[in-house]
Amino acid sequence: MSPILRRTGLALLGPVLAIVVALVISAGVIALIGENPLTALEVMLDLGDTPSQQTQSIVVILNRAVPLFLAGLAVSIAFRMGLFNIGVEGQYRLAAILAAAVGGAVALPGPLHVLVIVAVAVVVGAVWAGIVGVLKVTRGVSEVISSIMLNFIALGLASYLLTGPLRGSEEGASIVTTTPIPESGWFPGLNGLLTGLGLAEPRSQLYGFLLVAVVVGIAVAVLLKRTRFGFDLRASGLSPSAASASGVDARRMVLKTMLLSGAVAGLIGMPDLLGSTHVYGTQFTGGLGFLGIAVALLGRNSPVGIALAALLFAFLDRAALPLQFADIPSSVVTIIQGTIVLAVVIANEVARRLTLRSAERAGARPVAPGGGSAGATGRGNPPPSDDGPPDTTGDRTGVRQEVQR
Amino acid sequence: MATSAPSAGGPGQGSSAGASAAGVAPPAVELRGITKRFPGVVANRDIELRVRRGEVHAIVGENGAGKSTLMKTLYGMHRPDEGQILLDGREVHFRSPADAIAAGIGMVHQHFMLADNFTVLENIILGSEPTKGGRLDRAGARRRIGELSDKYALGLEPDVLVEDLGVGDRQRVEIAKVLYRGATTLILDEPTAVLVPQEVDELFGNLNELKREGLTVIFISHKLDEVRRVADSITVIRRGTTVGQADPRTTSVKQLAEMMVGSELPTPETRTSTVRDAVVLQLTDVTVADPVGRPLVNDVDLTVREGEVVGIAGVEGNGQAELVDAIMGLRPLAAGRITLGDEDITCATTRARREAGIGFIPEDRHRQGMLLDAPLWENRVLGHQTRPPAAKGWFIDRRGARTDTERIMRQYDVRAPGPDTLAVALSGGNQQKLIVGREMSAGPRLLIAAHPTRGVDVGAQAVIWELLKDARAEGMGIVLVSADLDELIGLSDTLHVMLRGGLVATVDPRRVTPEELGGYMTGAHTVGAA
Repeated sequence: MSPILRRTGLALLGPVLAIVVALVISAGVIALIGENPLTALEVMLDLGDTPSQQTQSIVVILNRAVPLFLAGLAVSIAFRMGLFNIGVEGQYRLAAILAAAVGGAVALPGPLHVLVIVAVAVVVGAVWAGIVGVLKVTRGVSEVISSIMLNFIALGLASYLLTGPLRGSEEGASIVTTTPIPESGWFPGLNGLLTGLGLAEPRSQLYGFLLVAVVVGIAVAVLLKRTRFGFDLRASGLSPSAASASGVDARRMVLKTMLLSGAVAGLIGMPDLLGSTHVYGTQFTGGLGFLGIAVALLGRNSPVGIALAALLFAFLDRAALPLQFADIPSSVVTIIQGTIVLAVVIANEVARRLTLRSAERAGARPVAPGGGSAGATGRGNPPPSDDGPPDTTGDRTGVRQEVQR
Repeated sequence: MATSAPSAGGPGQGSSAGASAAGVAPPAVELRGITKRFPGVVANRDIELRVRRGEVHAIVGENGAGKSTLMKTLYGMHRPDEGQILLDGREVHFRSPADAIAAGIGMVHQHFMLADNFTVLENIILGSEPTKGGRLDRAGARRRIGELSDKYALGLEPDVLVEDLGVGDRQRVEIAKVLYRGATTLILDEPTAVLVPQEVDELFGNLNELKREGLTVIFISHKLDEVRRVADSITVIRRGTTVGQADPRTTSVKQLAEMMVGSELPTPETRTSTVRDAVVLQLTDVTVADPVGRPLVNDVDLTVREGEVVGIAGVEGNGQAELVDAIMGLRPLAAGRITLGDEDITCATTRARREAGIGFIPEDRHRQGMLLDAPLWENRVLGHQTRPPAAKGWFIDRRGARTDTERIMRQYDVRAPGPDTLAVALSGGNQQKLIVGREMSAGPRLLIAAHPTRGVDVGAQAVIWELLKDARAEGMGIVLVSADLDELIGLSDTLHVMLRGGLVATVDPRRVTPEELGGYMTGAHTVGAA
């Protein structure tokens, strides 16, 4: 039991350390701009006065956490095989606008309508990420470069589509959007569940997509941890050369991983689109792809860790508004998030070294004194007298045997 | 000096360091009762070591016997829990390798730590660059390197890029690097592991030069005949402690080996032929080209029959690695055909080849054979992802893989706490035994064994040789690429020599000597006779 506990402890050490360091630094920054860090902390922790406000705050946090979780997941899949998919931002924005347009253009019975929208998003995300994969496999273009470039193209393309062919709002309206998705394409909320649990009714709906995200999270965890595909993927991440010697086709693996990462990225915009906005517009939530990188880092690429990291980031994001009400700049939140990311990179490295060192110690080097030696009884090399005083070799000519201790 | 020591140390030191006025000079390096514990295990215990100034002192022992731990202690990479380190009779405490370097101890690692795209000069000064008015003093550096090179007959060419150098030259650069930092005691970690016999001779020549100039060399090895050739005295380590000193002039290899492992020295020899008629692997006109189109493997024909060990000898970098890659499907062929049994596998993927019955012991186990940061059971799965007991349908069979890892650990004597231990925690020999066990477990028809006993101690070497012999007797075809000529001569039924990408000679392993073989490998001999 204890080695497992120890390993988990070490796995948690990095993120926890990072958060503590980030909080200390942020407190310093708040103090520097002449505000009281404790007041800020109080404001951030205050979820509201009435039960209804409190549930509302929880709903806001969860609704923000769902897309963050999906973004972290998308990034982590690529991370696991050593690919840096910075293009999640472009992938989900393009997926969201095309899915919104398709959703607004067709009229289908309820579940099918939702399914079509989600399918479009998944396919678009996968295809856009697939371009990165194809470029890497065929032309050797670094995925970092191409995915950043494709972000610009995706955002530009989305703007063009929004103001051009896919515009659904009135000409001259201050907010440009796609055609709204009819109600059959909405994802039902989960507020029934909240009231069922005895919580007060919040003002906005808890995204039903939360359940989808949980299922996707579990599916990805199983896929990576338990399947042959997941093994190949992780092996490629740990050592590309060993993976290809073991029979993993590195090129095909890059492509598959990018497609999978992009498919999950396509889902990022869905909670907002299906749960509240029902249109893609100029005010559609942006930046989730980049936040996803931070979330994946903080969550150390494990689905559970990513879920916790997403919740933390969502919690911090919610605090932005109350902080402003308390006359503390809301950029405090951004500072905390930024320092967490910086600290987590360092802390992960420290934790990695500690894990490695403890592993090296655990692997019994030679045998403990006093003979016995569970592991060394193999091939009949060790003679019984091994740990006793030096044996008969002392008589032999030329062998000078020194008695130890 | 320790109470029991004088009888052994006194007169010897007096004579060798006779110049000193006092008669008995303190040893250059002395370790007294060094003990190093890691949680749960004792890596070194009561180590006693005395190295006289100006001698080549060999430390021999199995892998995992504690040689590396001891050298890390001496090089300041960690601190001992008990005991003293004395240099020239003065006790020292090293906090880091920097302290050790300052005290005149230098280490030449087994794996070279050179920047390929730097010149020899740049590599030597890297990390201790001489400056003049804030600028790099190349002229000064060149002068000092020239002096070093002349003094110790290193034959350095300061302006050559390291990537253009052979293995022996690279090693000399490493040695020069240590000397440049003012080392008077050099630790050489398995320096001959990567060298062919001729290069070994050159290295030993260099060591004699160093000795003549009064430097002290600590030479770590498990190649006992080499140790006997070069060392002035030998300390044997077994299971974490020093078991004794031996005089290389009067101690036989056999006696040394017995001190080292406590049992007979194994020999690789197999003499009864088990070669059958059925061909397992057939290479026809196989050519592998580099990106520019230059042939790395040139028109190679090779036949491996059931129960046959086909050895490939050659100086490293003559296309053996590329040939192995080509057989494994890791490199595309420019021309030629490969058949496994009756199947044409020229265009098959690596996975298909493995599934068709090729086992692979790669030359660099860290790069190609293992996932170091993964547990042992995942390493059992590696390369066998598609087959039981590692896989069940689309899923990895975690329990099956764990159970089978435990079996391999028992059967192949892999010394590790359990299947969940990270591979990085194992010593080289144990990692290699795990790889061999894994590849054998799948019951391959053909085994590609590239340097199967490289960096492995005598005990593990014996196990691996025994396994290869058993596999051969059961009718497995084996391609054996190795730099260990005794291993090649002892195990092979057919022995080819590879030079500049081609098979230039086929020799009879029953009659050829290592020296002759070395001649073919360097191109000094040409085919004619064979």
